[in-house]
Amino acid sequence: MLKIAAHHIEAIQKAETLQDLYPLVQNAIELEHATIPPYLTAMFSIKPGKMQDIWNIIHSIVIEEMLHMTISSNIMNALGGKPAIDNAKFVPEYPGGLPMGIGGDLVVNLEKLSKDVVKNTFMEIEEPEHPLDIPVRTLESADTTVPDFHTIGEFYEYLDKKIQEIAPDDLPGDPKNQVTSPFFSDDVLFPILTKEDISKAIEIIVEQGEGTSTSPIDFEGEIAHYYRFEEIYLGKALKKDPTAPDGYSFSGEEIPFDPDEVFPIFPNTKASMLDVGTEERRRVDEFNRAYYSLLNGLHRTFNGEPNHLSQTIGLMFDIKLLAEKLCGTPFPKKSGFNIGPTFEFVD
Amino acid sequence: MSYLHKPRIIFSGDFISDVSTVNNDVAHYNNATFIPSFQEFGQGSDNGWWNPEGGATFAFQDCLIKKVCYSDGTSANDSSIDDLVGEFVQGAEGRSAGKMVDLDPQQQGVSELWALRLRIVTKSGEEVLAGDIFPTAFRDLQMRQTDGGKVNGQPLGASWTTVLENIVWGEKAENYRILKELKALTNDNRLAVNLNGFGYYYAHAADGRFSLGKVIGSIGPWFEGEPHTFTAERRLYGTKRTGSSTYFNFSNFRFDEDSSLLSIDFGNSFPISNSLGNVAIKNHYMLGVANSAFSNSPSSTAVDLTTSEFTAIGDLEYSQGDWLMKTGGIIDIKVPQDAIDKLKENQLLLIRKTGSSYTLVARESIDGLNFRADQMVQRIDADDESNVDFYARKWGKPVDSGTISIQRTPPNKTVPGPICPTPGNNFPASGLSFNSTALELGQNGQTQLKITGGRINNPRKYLDGQIYFLGYSLEGTSADPANTGMAGDQISIHLRDYFPVPDRPTWSDISDTMQQFSNLYPIMSKYLVDLASREAVLSKRKILLFAFSQDINSPMYMPVTRDLSEGKRLTIMKWLKSAGANEQTESFAVAEGEAAGAMKSAGKSVGAMRESEAVLADEPTNFHKEIINAMRLKMAQGVSFEAVKDTSKL
Repeated sequence: MLKIAAHHIEAIQKAETLQDLYPLVQNAIELEHATIPPYLTAMFSIKPGKMQDIWNIIHSIVIEEMLHMTISSNIMNALGGKPAIDNAKFVPEYPGGLPMGIGGDLVVNLEKLSKDVVKNTFMEIEEPEHPLDIPVRTLESADTTVPDFHTIGEFYEYLDKKIQEIAPDDLPGDPKNQVTSPFFSDDVLFPILTKEDISKAIEIIVEQGEGTSTSPIDFEGEIAHYYRFEEIYLGKALKKDPTAPDGYSFSGEEIPFDPDEVFPIFPNTKASMLDVGTEERRRVDEFNRAYYSLLNGLHRTFNGEPNHLSQTIGLMFDIKLLAEKLCGTPFPKKSGFNIGPTFEFVD
Repeated sequence: MSYLHKPRIIFSGDFISDVSTVNNDVAHYNNATFIPSFQEFGQGSDNGWWNPEGGATFAFQDCLIKKVCYSDGTSANDSSIDDLVGEFVQGAEGRSAGKMVDLDPQQQGVSELWALRLRIVTKSGEEVLAGDIFPTAFRDLQMRQTDGGKVNGQPLGASWTTVLENIVWGEKAENYRILKELKALTNDNRLAVNLNGFGYYYAHAADGRFSLGKVIGSIGPWFEGEPHTFTAERRLYGTKRTGSSTYFNFSNFRFDEDSSLLSIDFGNSFPISNSLGNVAIKNHYMLGVANSAFSNSPSSTAVDLTTSEFTAIGDLEYSQGDWLMKTGGIIDIKVPQDAIDKLKENQLLLIRKTGSSYTLVARESIDGLNFRADQMVQRIDADDESNVDFYARKWGKPVDSGTISIQRTPPNKTVPGPICPTPGNNFPASGLSFNSTALELGQNGQTQLKITGGRINNPRKYLDGQIYFLGYSLEGTSADPANTGMAGDQISIHLRDYFPVPDRPTWSDISDTMQQFSNLYPIMSKYLVDLASREAVLSKRKILLFAFSQDINSPMYMPVTRDLSEGKRLTIMKWLKSAGANEQTESFAVAEGEAAGAMKSAGKSVGAMRESEAVLADEPTNFHKEIINAMRLKMAQGVSFEAVKDTSKL
């Protein structure tokens, strides 16, 4: 289970004003974003048109991480804060840990798809607070005795609790800054105008990631991220199963994984690994520029120009195309490897 | 006003143009004869040419401001003198870059820039000037590289002249003298822009510059009443051939009578030794004004001059190395007293001096004439009316009387090709009609052609619409033999097919178009969605609807080539909105017929069923309907027609 250092929870608990919470909500936005490059890298490493079931699973999770990043940004705006997205601090270093020291020793890499990375990184990141075969532990017990660490889900729950406690009923943020999109239903992406909206939004983030405490299925009827990754790891789809204790088992269709259908991208590729003046280096630089441009577009979107979101969609496709072409390109002087997407900050 | 006026900003650097090349061959549009090798890298029409997986991106890269020229005639090319020198020229941020696309596989000589932004950004990231480049096609395609383009593969260069629209001045713009001067002269929120592109790489060369080129840009004031896509000033044409090439082929210039300053742009014409814009020639060039008229044709035979044939203006001062990239190749030269009056009504000459002998390199157009069409690239739908504005100048001044006559290019026949027939163009004649083909010049030397698109029905068979070319001339003048660019300056029209949007479009209404996209743009089918597959398209319905509903000026507009009939685009959108439901209706109609047939073959005619099925005796047709409804239900649940047509199992 991914652990988050107790001092972050303590910071939430000690918060007296909404301003005190801004750095923590900013951390949440950074955390939601930090999972996207590793997931995308694994997805882009799949050769074009191959292993579509796996591709679709990862893609669906990435889309929800983008949703979570948007929701967290909407919460920040609702509280009157300003999401900060277009700066070097926002972009994680890979290999490296997750924001807030989440996961402790877990080192996240930008690497090709493998069962190993799915099991030991992605499922670690998404592991539920209460795995289904473990007795449910209630949040109340944590109120008096603060343990050494908490889960991401708990972090969000404490955050919600504190907001409910200290935020005025009339939230200070400008409703005009709230971001919605025709690409998400208004059940999951809605303007955050009230404290109730904040609770509902946080619930969506937690459940899409972890599932509910009694089912791998979230309230929208979707399989939570952890179990979707587990489908890849086990090579079987999750299916309703009345004979299984939680009503589901990995007894559905085969989800075959074939390592030959993955490009051998070099882990944590950096622009600096490629010689200046080569076509390959230029392509990597272009990728980093497009990534920065996307962060810039998202920053604008979450800082008063919500309609700009549609403009960033073109960049998301640019990034996808640039990355997939890189993954198919042999890495000069690194025999047996191709070039991976870099996700480095340049401005 | 124009980019040749002052104040002026010069920048240079690289551009990237990741054009797609499967569509460089008209035969590749034919779905019936398309084979997968057309999508593979390689020369020849059996392959997809040099960049089959291109995505049409066009962007500025590593462009820096090199020089600023102030209104008072002084200039600066050093950041210690003017802070703007060394700052960045960039494209859009926070959204996709621009696009470069051909008009059509049968007119690839007028590649257009679309959805391109231009921004001046300081080193600290402050945007001081931003605007949108008005879509424009290149003109004045000419030979640039004396090395024949041996490294990059394309020795030619060309100009995109246009305006920068929707200007936004940054807060810090006030801190820069040149921006303050420009802002004061900004009219209608527009500025004039010229981009000279050259040194473009088809080749995957060792220097890593594949799909890059060099660009020199200049930004100046623009005034109401000026054309958008060329400079209505004076023109210098090269007449000295070297082999089959003419260097200094086309150069724009302006003579400001008030200041007696001659500003001449060699940015698109100066010979360069390689793809990086290096200048290696060491010839002694000078400018002069002709004492009597020249009308010579381009020739490899040198035209020798005596000093009595011209009045010297001055030497063309340039230097070897990166002179062109640093100065933009625009030369401002003070005209000496004895040449001022002559230059007002006589031809400018570019002369090469060797020892004591003089030879003619380039001369101004005959009689100083310059008449051009502004909107020379047209994308027209049936029943659309579109305008082309003409501007005529003589010695840089408006020609207020005279007639521009329009000439249709005669139809040419469809001819056999290696893969399939190559369609002819310019037919049917009914595709185009005009307000007049004899257009009287009026105020400001302007006149306007109005073109109305007719309803044509697929004259080229396997690709949309038709290409028409229109020539034009100024009556009473004969064509200048040195204006070899006139062919590239003709009006190029893509008239799209007439295509009424069906009430209930089905996949069959759009499948040919989608198949063609899938064939021509492997970047889509390989990485995004197989456009030839109904199911794949449906699975990406929302995002495709988003792309197909973009404004044509959006970088996300689909199709990127902007060559699809509006009716077809709307049909695709309508089909995407229907989520394919109309085919279900279509297959239900088939199902109904087959169900009736199945019943008949079972010996149960509707009439017979009335008798045998007592419970349904009153409403045999309702029974029929119930069967159909049951079939519909099953099919809606995903059961195939084959499985449900056995009505006994319903």
